[in-house]
Amino acid sequence: MMFVIRITCFVICTGVLVIFANANVGAELAIATRSKNRGKGSMWWGIAKAGEPNNLSPMSPGALYMDTSVHGTLRRKQRRLARENTGLLEAIAKGANLAINECQFQFRNLRWNCSTRNFLKGKNLFGKIVEKGCPETAFIYAITSAAVTHSIARACSEGAIETCYCEKHYRRPQVFSNGNTGSVTTNVRDFEWGGCSDNIGFGFDVSREFVDTGERGKSLREKMNLHNNEAGRSLVQSQMRQECKCHGMSGSCTTRTCWMKLPNFRVIGDLLKDRYDAATRVIAANSGTLKSNKAHSNRLPKNPTALMTNSIHTKRENKRKHKYGFQLKPFNPEHKPPGVKDLVYYEMLPGFCEKNPKYGIQGTHGRQCNETSEGVDNCDVMCCGRGFHSEEVVVVERCNCIFHWCCEVKCDICRTKKKVQYCF
Amino acid sequence: MPGTILENLSGRKLSVLVTILVLSQLACFLVGLISPSPASTQSILATVCVDDKPQDDKLNHWFDLGCSKKIHLEREESTIGLDANNLVFAMQMPLHGQDYSSWQQNLVGELQIDVIYKEGQKLSNPMIELLLDARIAYSDKTKDGGRTPWKYYTHSQTKRFMDCIFNETFVKDGYPYDCTMVPLFELGSLFHDYYLLNLRLPYDKKKEINTGLGRVSDIYLHTIHMNGGFTKVWVSLKTVFFPIILAIMIWFWNRVHSLSRKPALLEYMLISLGGTLAFLDLPIEYFTLYFDMPYMLFLSDIRQGVFYAMLLSFWLVFTGEHMLIQETGEKNSLRKYWKHLSSVAVGCVSLLIFDLCERGVHLVNPFYSIWVTPLGTNLALTFVICAGLSAGIYFAFLCYMIWRVFKNISIKRSVLPSMTQARRLHYEGIIYRFCFLMFATLICAAVTICSFLLSQYVQGEKKYDENMDLELTSVIHTGVYGMWNVYICALLMLYAPSHKRWPSEPICAEGEEVEFSRLSNDTSTPNEISSLTSFVAKANIE
Repeated sequence: MMFVIRITCFVICTGVLVIFANANVGAELAIATRSKNRGKGSMWWGIAKAGEPNNLSPMSPGALYMDTSVHGTLRRKQRRLARENTGLLEAIAKGANLAINECQFQFRNLRWNCSTRNFLKGKNLFGKIVEKGCPETAFIYAITSAAVTHSIARACSEGAIETCYCEKHYRRPQVFSNGNTGSVTTNVRDFEWGGCSDNIGFGFDVSREFVDTGERGKSLREKMNLHNNEAGRSLVQSQMRQECKCHGMSGSCTTRTCWMKLPNFRVIGDLLKDRYDAATRVIAANSGTLKSNKAHSNRLPKNPTALMTNSIHTKRENKRKHKYGFQLKPFNPEHKPPGVKDLVYYEMLPGFCEKNPKYGIQGTHGRQCNETSEGVDNCDVMCCGRGFHSEEVVVVERCNCIFHWCCEVKCDICRTKKKVQYCF
Repeated sequence: MPGTILENLSGRKLSVLVTILVLSQLACFLVGLISPSPASTQSILATVCVDDKPQDDKLNHWFDLGCSKKIHLEREESTIGLDANNLVFAMQMPLHGQDYSSWQQNLVGELQIDVIYKEGQKLSNPMIELLLDARIAYSDKTKDGGRTPWKYYTHSQTKRFMDCIFNETFVKDGYPYDCTMVPLFELGSLFHDYYLLNLRLPYDKKKEINTGLGRVSDIYLHTIHMNGGFTKVWVSLKTVFFPIILAIMIWFWNRVHSLSRKPALLEYMLISLGGTLAFLDLPIEYFTLYFDMPYMLFLSDIRQGVFYAMLLSFWLVFTGEHMLIQETGEKNSLRKYWKHLSSVAVGCVSLLIFDLCERGVHLVNPFYSIWVTPLGTNLALTFVICAGLSAGIYFAFLCYMIWRVFKNISIKRSVLPSMTQARRLHYEGIIYRFCFLMFATLICAAVTICSFLLSQYVQGEKKYDENMDLELTSVIHTGVYGMWNVYICALLMLYAPSHKRWPSEPICAEGEEVEFSRLSNDTSTPNEISSLTSFVAKANIE
């Protein structure tokens, strides 16, 4: 019972109250105060660098969880999730890495190139840019949340997380008991009765629990982060593709069974980049349309005793159906309000041309650009009009590559003279 | 001579019977509500293990999720120095610490190989020829909660084709090709608790083995198994129907034998139709709980095939026997229908051969597929087309015969006003009941076709986030299955010979229905089982 009170308080009350309600004050104090002051939900991004898996010997399950440096970056709820779901942290770490790689790939030609810093503690992985409500932040939040969803779903298919749930985990037992078969349904019997296959659902829900847990405030930035997190996840979900197989009499289609195929993450990255290019600017709606309470009440479990069991499973139903209960208003009243999959932001940074240590912006000094390109990597754009210098170098490149399964690419070595431009 | 029960049953009794049948039909639909969907899938992502010694190729060395060396194909640096023969794709079934139950009946495996486009490494041929070295092991739960070590189940080197499309307008680095699924195996029984698939994609440049393969990022195995809940509901249906159909058959045959005449052709057809239905209803699925029966898939195909063949033949003979052109004194036999029935026979035999070639061979080699060799594909297509053609010919025949029956009926109907009122009412009743059964057949066929189309639509439209509590597919399956059971029970009951003696006193059944005595000059031959045919024969005389 004590546990229930603690959790409920943790959600409702401020950090200070949590401390009083808690027994092990010391550790919690550090977490609570830190998370109150800093970039909220983004702390967990740090595990991307902590959980760097070795090439040939992946960590044994649970090893990452024990890592104290990882432990420190997580909120209490996140730690509980990690404790209850073996293998979850590894999947999230993989997801965070996936997000960083994809972000850097998508922004390789832009002024802001999604640079990360190898800081585990204290500072945010992406720098303080995430404390601003700009489109880049929107992209970071969306892609990390999408990558976590994707990665957890993948880990479920790989068998790395054992708590992934059965498709009808929630509905079937009720119907089952109506059928008067009279037996007690356990998880295992569920599998026998109706099978298990909802990996993306698990990924979606756990990602929501884990990623969104930092955004508990009522400010516009938190609303924005929540919206962008949700946008990333929805995009993964909407890109699931259906495949079917006929297996009826003599292989005919009298019985056909379908399943959902997880999309390639590059596709998600591209789509999110498109959303970033068309991100919607929003404003705080001061006429009371910003129903911050609703977002909160949604996050509370309806049945307190349910918390004693696995917390993800219990909240599944009300979570999946209802989105967070707020609506953001577009900055330009003539525009449509942002949809679920749209990225939103509310301010622009002055620019990414100059180095700005305050926000962790590297600036474009010394960046490579392309004189002839008509895109965003054009030197005039990239160098913000400062000009550039051109070097002629001999580039040794692999060319005419032929791939040999599994692991060999045979290429010719080509030497070409190339002009390379760098910004001043 | 007695007619069938259908003609002699009073309207009230008929309506009571029909109500009972409709209610049991409804019950079959409702039973589908508690059942989950017929089958579920589980998508299993392969764990890539490294086999250090591929040369000593032992069949008792297995790689599962706990293999010592794992790599990730997407990390190029981790694959350096490795050979295709080093890689073993391990898929452990089922996932999430579950174990298979015998109630889940069978397992179908489908491979999804994700091939990634890399800059400058376009696939040379979009039709990739794969050589798969697949091995399956099994393991069981031990009493103390552990698992027995993996034991060899089956293995095969098999060829498959994978068609990969790449959308040229989106040529981007890291994008996946759109490749077709590769059917891999079909296990007819799920007797063991755990299964393990070890897949290798060997590479040999000289022999051109797997040379067309691009950069593989992931291999998924999509497994399909029946749902235990559905099997339970299904077997319960069979358990209920089997004794009923058996009892009705015994009752029917007793009735036929208590007559002084020999059984008519239609009665033989009816009893064999009942027999095939009883064979279909026989709940041998119970045995799969205690014995390993990999031939269950094949057997259920055979059972369904025999039933459908009998049903189709019955319709032909039934229509033919009501053709109303009566040859005198000649006992009808199946020989008269050999032309019509040969279409059913050809269709069924070609489907049987096709099934033997695919599912029959699966008993020996679960990885076998007839479609991978050009010869096999042609052969399979020949049989399937042959079956399709005979189905077309069959339905053309059937429609033609039904059209002729109705034409004859309408001709005779025009003679009706010239008859006495008693006779006219009598014959109108018979025609009405005959049409009633035709109508029932039509409804059953229409419901079957519609539900089949609906289930295709439902499965096609199933959106991911849809929270529909009702499992329409299983409702359709149990409903249609129950419908044909009810239909054949009704046929057996209504077409059983009646014991009412002719001529007899006009019976006033509760004052509603008057049953009229036959005409005195009724000298129908014993092979006419329906008074409708005798009526028409008489009308011809008139």
